[in-house]
Amino acid sequence: MKIFGKQLFRPRSIWIRRVVQWFFFLFIALISVNHTLVESGGGIPFLSTASLHALCPFGGVVTIYQYATVGTFVQKIHESAFVLMIVGFVLAFLFGPVFCGWVCPLGTVQEWVSKLGKKFFKRKFNHFVPAKLDNILRYLRYVVLAWVVYVTATSGTLIFAEYDPYFALFNFWSSEVAVGGLVILGVTLLLSLFVERPWCKYACPYGAVLGITNLFRVFQIRRVESTCKADGACSIMCPMNIPVDSVKTVRDHQCISCLECTSEAICPVAKTVVFNAGGIK
Amino acid sequence: MNLTSKPLAVIIFIILFGGISFSTAMGWWATESTKEPVTFTEGEFAGQYNPADIRGSYTFGDVENSFGIPSVILAQAFSIETDNPAAFAVKSLEEIYAASEFEIGTASVRLFVAFYNGLPIDLSTDMYLPENAAVLLKKRTLTPEQITYLEAHTVPNPTASSASDSPEPAPAQETESAPEAVTTPSASTTESSTERLVKGKTTFQEVLDWGVSQEIIEQVMGAPMPNPLTKIKDYCNEKGLEFETIKTALQVEVDKVK
Repeated sequence: MKIFGKQLFRPRSIWIRRVVQWFFFLFIALISVNHTLVESGGGIPFLSTASLHALCPFGGVVTIYQYATVGTFVQKIHESAFVLMIVGFVLAFLFGPVFCGWVCPLGTVQEWVSKLGKKFFKRKFNHFVPAKLDNILRYLRYVVLAWVVYVTATSGTLIFAEYDPYFALFNFWSSEVAVGGLVILGVTLLLSLFVERPWCKYACPYGAVLGITNLFRVFQIRRVESTCKADGACSIMCPMNIPVDSVKTVRDHQCISCLECTSEAICPVAKTVVFNAGGIK
Repeated sequence: MNLTSKPLAVIIFIILFGGISFSTAMGWWATESTKEPVTFTEGEFAGQYNPADIRGSYTFGDVENSFGIPSVILAQAFSIETDNPAAFAVKSLEEIYAASEFEIGTASVRLFVAFYNGLPIDLSTDMYLPENAAVLLKKRTLTPEQITYLEAHTVPNPTASSASDSPEPAPAQETESAPEAVTTPSASTTESSTERLVKGKTTFQEVLDWGVSQEIIEQVMGAPMPNPLTKIKDYCNEKGLEFETIKTALQVEVDKVK
């Protein structure tokens, strides 16, 4: 808030991100409910009745192999998932994994649960896992990615649906949901009390794919060393525990482009941690 | 060039919904399989929809759109009591008739539609219909072969516990023949009403996973097996093979493995 040109209150978080997250959570939840209603003869007018599989960009990723070799999609996957995959890649190429930080409803729900964890554990929250172990576990999601792609390619079926917490989150009321998915969702939500976004950090195969774009994306998180006060606020705030204060440009594969570390949010010095495209004036 | 949160939020919406709108405009956006069956390509019925391509994901409304049989008639045939028969999914029949000794499902709808509209369908495999469907079909024009098949493949209507009562119970005189027809189906079909069923969506990989060797599959197909991820039905359609025949032969091999 500005009064007579002076900054009296500076927002401490990116509120617009919360709005976007709420929007997509409600949007997907309504579509999922509508899908169930339509199957039982009802339905909400003017709202999509698509299944969750049709609206998941990761479905596009897992069907690439079959599409390339046979020319068909994996069962339950449709053209829409392919389109969303491409849109997701465009966004990630430009801005990094904004899909994870701004759109994905499972990430949003984990953040909501984590708010409770922050209240309980204060500064200890999100620092329970020893650094060495944490560093290793961060690569687990690439193992999950390799496994999902392999089993889908060899079976031609969407085996990951049996374990997918995202599908379970929006289908827990339906007979389509698998026990494995519900268990993993429960464990994820429980862990969210101790760790910020545990599924995203350690297991999400789609996050693994998008995370690679952090190495070459157009818009990067950059820290201006000349004005940096080295107070470490950016690193403390980062939900993915990235040491922003020790790098000039964030290229960590776990960054979700939430912008919470920037001067627009936690960094107290203007234009010091910024989100910019280096070569574009 | 610096970017802040608000423009980024706007850009996310533009790219996401712009991408969806663009793909919709280009005809690339589809969130479900097309609900339009393939057509007969040759013969007397060329150009007409082929009931053998009705899928489990179709609703009675989809069947009505393609074949002109009112959803109400379909609901009556399969003893489905609902305010909105057009929304009833064909695949739900399997759940409703789960207690039935013989499988009533998508194949049953294909058979009913074919007989109702006088369209050809391969009768070399066992497909079953409930009594109500048989009663309705007997009012249509059937060939002697179709009547014989129908009499041998009619099963009782579902019980009140598994499905609602028939909206219009068949006349007692007309349903009299059903009980004796129930005794004729073969035992092998009963065995196959488990999870390991060769269906329209089954791939060669699934048959391999069920323990049938590639050699046997190739013997059945009479040709080298394509990419295992290919759906058997797609392959049959592409090669001009009769899917129902191949399906039955493969099912026999699958059942042998059990």
